[in-house]
Amino acid sequence: MANDPIEQFHIEPIAALEIAGLDASFTNASLAMVGGAALAAWFFNWAMKPAAMAPGRAQVAAEGAYDFVHGMLHDAAGAEGVKKFLPFVFTLFLFIFMSNMLGMFPGFLGVHHIFTPTSQIVVTAALALMVFFTVIVVGFAKNGLKFFKLFAPSGVPIVILPFVVLIEVISFFSRPLSHAVRLWANILAGHILLKVFAGFVPALIAAGGFYGVLSVLPLAMTVGLYGLEFLVAFLQAYVFAILTCIYLNDALHPGH
Amino acid sequence: MADEKPPEDALSDLRRRVSAARGDGASNTPPPQSPASLAMRFGGEFGAAIIVGALLGYGVDHFVHTSPWGLVAGLGLGFAAGVVNVVRVAQFYSRSHPVEPDTPSAVDDEED
Repeated sequence: MANDPIEQFHIEPIAALEIAGLDASFTNASLAMVGGAALAAWFFNWAMKPAAMAPGRAQVAAEGAYDFVHGMLHDAAGAEGVKKFLPFVFTLFLFIFMSNMLGMFPGFLGVHHIFTPTSQIVVTAALALMVFFTVIVVGFAKNGLKFFKLFAPSGVPIVILPFVVLIEVISFFSRPLSHAVRLWANILAGHILLKVFAGFVPALIAAGGFYGVLSVLPLAMTVGLYGLEFLVAFLQAYVFAILTCIYLNDALHPGH
Repeated sequence: MADEKPPEDALSDLRRRVSAARGDGASNTPPPQSPASLAMRFGGEFGAAIIVGALLGYGVDHFVHTSPWGLVAGLGLGFAAGVVNVVRVAQFYSRSHPVEPDTPSAVDDEED
C-alpha cells in the first residue's frame, strides 16, 4: 500500500542468512547502514585527496566537519578527551549524520525507497549502549573504584547521601534510554509526518473538482517540512554527538 | 610578482590575519535548537528516568519479593532522578545560551 505512512519502515531481507538458528539476513536496513558508512568514508577520501594548502570546497567541508567535532569534544572533555575519543565521536557523528541524510532521499537507481536506519530503535539503542558501556569500561579502567564518586557528589550531608546515590544511579541508567529514544523518535516522527502530508496530495486530487485545487496546501507543507527535516537530520546527529562528549567526560573526570 | 615576501612569511601572515578575523575561541557555536526539540529533550530526560526507576524497583520486587513496595519506591526515586536530569539539561542549556546583559527583565504583573 503506497499510502501507508509506516510502510517505509518495513524491513525486507535482500540476502537471506541464518547463523546458529538466528536470522542474520542482509536487509534493506543493513544496506542503508553500509551505505551511510561507505558514503562518509568515500566523501572524506575524495575530499581530502588533494590535501591542498588552499583547500577547495569539498576539502573545506571535510575539514570543517573535523573542526566542528574536535571543538565540541574539546569543550566538553578537554584535551585528554580529544586524545582518547576523537575517532569514536567523529565516527558516531558521521555515521548518524550520513544515515539521516541518506534517509532523506526518496529513492533512486532502482531502489524503491531508501531506508533510514536511525528510524529503528534497535540501531539507536545499539549506538547509545555502545557509548554507555564505553563510559563504564573507560571509567573503571582509568579511575578504578574512584569512578563511584560519579554517584556521590561532594558536599552532600551524610543523612541524605543514600537517597542522592540512588537518584544518581537511576539518572545514570536513564542516560542510554533518553539518548537512544531522542534520535529515534525525532527521525521516526519526522518521516511519518512527511509521508502523511504527502499522502494528502493524491487523496485530494483523487477527490476531484475543488478538492484538487486544495491539494496545493499539503504539497507546500511537505516542501516546508522537507527543509525542516534536513535541519533535524543534522541537529539530531549533533545532539547525539555532544551528549556522547558529555558522558565520556564523566568517564574521565567522575568527581562533579 | 609584486609580492616579494618568501612563501613562509606570506603563509604565516595569512594565518595571523585569519585568526584575527575569526576572533578568539573556536568558531564552534551550536546550531539553534527549535523550541519543540528542546521540549522533547526535557520530556525525554524526565520520562526516561521514571521508566528506569520503575523498572529497577520492579526488578527489586521480583528478586526480593517485596511487591509492590519496590515499584512504589522506584517510581518515586525515578521521579526525583527525572527532576535532577531536567535541571542538568536546563543548566547546560543556559550555560551554552547566556542571556545578553542588556535584555530587559520580565515585567512583574502580579499584584502583591
